[in-house]
Amino acid sequence: MRVNFVLSEVAAGLRRNLTMTVAMILTTGISLGLMGTGLLIANMIGDMREIYYDKVQVSIYLTDDVSDPQRDAIAAALEGSPEVRNYIYESKAEAYERFTQQFQEQPALIANTPEDALPESFRVELVNPERYEVIAQEFPVGENGVEDVRDEGDFLDRLFSLLNGARNATIAVAVVQALASLLLISNSIQLAAFNRRNETNIMRLVGASRWYTQLPFILEAALAGLIGAGLAIGGLVLTKVLFVDKTLAGPIKAGIIPPVDWSAIAAISPIIAAAGVGLASVAAYVTLRLYVRL
Amino acid sequence: MIELQHVTKIYPTSPRPALDDVSMQIDKGEFVFLIGSSGSGKSTFLRLLLKEDNPTKGVVKVNDKNLGTMSKWQVPKLRRTMGCVFQDFRLLRNKTVAENVAFALEVINKPQRTIKRVVPEVLEMVGLEGKENRLPNELSGGEQQRVAIARAFVNRPLVLLADEPTGNLDPETSQDIMLLLERINRTGTTVVMATHDYHIVDSMRRRVIELNDGVVSRDQSRGVYGVGR
Ligand SMILES: Nc1ncnc2c1ncn2[C@@H]1O[C@H](COP(=O)(O)OP(=O)(O)OP(=O)(O)O)[C@@H](O)[C@H]1O
Ligand SMILES: [Mg+2]
Repeated sequence: MRVNFVLSEVAAGLRRNLTMTVAMILTTGISLGLMGTGLLIANMIGDMREIYYDKVQVSIYLTDDVSDPQRDAIAAALEGSPEVRNYIYESKAEAYERFTQQFQEQPALIANTPEDALPESFRVELVNPERYEVIAQEFPVGENGVEDVRDEGDFLDRLFSLLNGARNATIAVAVVQALASLLLISNSIQLAAFNRRNETNIMRLVGASRWYTQLPFILEAALAGLIGAGLAIGGLVLTKVLFVDKTLAGPIKAGIIPPVDWSAIAAISPIIAAAGVGLASVAAYVTLRLYVRL
Repeated sequence: MIELQHVTKIYPTSPRPALDDVSMQIDKGEFVFLIGSSGSGKSTFLRLLLKEDNPTKGVVKVNDKNLGTMSKWQVPKLRRTMGCVFQDFRLLRNKTVAENVAFALEVINKPQRTIKRVVPEVLEMVGLEGKENRLPNELSGGEQQRVAIARAFVNRPLVLLADEPTGNLDPETSQDIMLLLERINRTGTTVVMATHDYHIVDSMRRRVIELNDGVVSRDQSRGVYGVGR
């Protein structure tokens, strides 16, 4: 197959209806960018699960007047429990230190908090995070120096359902955008085929194979898909540099939000490119089969 | 070579068949005029031979191949054995004479060497030497039709189908085109030509098949256009 011939057909086709081509590239780009964002959020959720879930699932807060034997008894019970994978003890002083670190940007809050205001606690990691109930039963609130037993997982669950919702919404918008871009691709292929019906009619009559006739159109769509993917990846890079790395620098440093790594963007870039080229080519092929006589 | 057995073509949008139980045989090397009033089914006949459309009923065979049982991907191969010429020339306006002819070879993957060799040959044969680099709109109608014939013939087809090739040309130019088609016919190529031009039909005295509302009403070797004309 004559490569030059096919490529010049592709270039001519893209130039011939420039507005359509631009629209096609932009919608494809937006759709792919949103898809990439969705994938990045999904990545981030995974990282955050590791940061949070694996550490503390249940906190046992102790009363101010807890006695040493009571504290030792709780520690022994945790040590012996098959439900517990790991636990740490946090004294009033340690709790205060963590507090001052967490709120270092709000000195007024720290100044207004007495050093012994925060309770001492055991932070417990469970073998199975869903087994909060068992621990709660083992350490009834108000007895043996136990002030409160809190399921931190409950809060995390809500946080993660929020993040999952954000991810799903992004992907849903991406899908709607993808639909729009598929329709645009289909439309501009029909237009291109109509514009070039002279050439394709002659090609058909002299016995050019179906592939030879169709390939320029499919390549045209694939190229638009690829450029769209390039835009999408560029958009993600800009978002990282201009938004994530600047605006979210604080929480990322504090370990509250995982950073968006270059490696994550590098990992999803080929997926985005493949999705762009693949969807565009398939849309073009199906359009040619269904609507265009070549 | 070409054979039709009880071929009927009914277009979905019109109740009257465009071809109605047509049977005929055209042998290799024949020159056949297809005549009949407007709407009698001549173009439909040619379209069926190219498998541009399928008959509603009946069998069409070209080069001993049954077009009805032929799969879609074999159609390009069939068309490479046929050339076609139309009243409106159908040239690419943005390509030169030589490029128009070469296009037909490029899109069927002929090697560049072959293209370089045969394009000038065929352009000389149709009398266009020296005009290879003109664009179609820099040519007369007769010259444009010569380009179209060159394109149809450059691949040495077994069959040449012509749908009113002289329909847009004056009588003298038409005569030149007919001489060219005769010359192509002498190389062994079967020529089937639909026409309204009775001067041509009467002067050439070749086989005449007349269609009348989709029915073959006359099939004469060495025929004339109309009885009593
Ligand atoms: N694509 C089509 N859809 C519906 N009807 C068609 C179609 N093409 C042709 N016809 C009808 O079929 C009949 C035969 O048409 P055809 O074009 O074969 O005639 P023709 O002999 O070539 O006429 P002309 O001499 O004017 O070119 C006509 O009645 C025409 O209206
Ligand atoms: Mg006709």
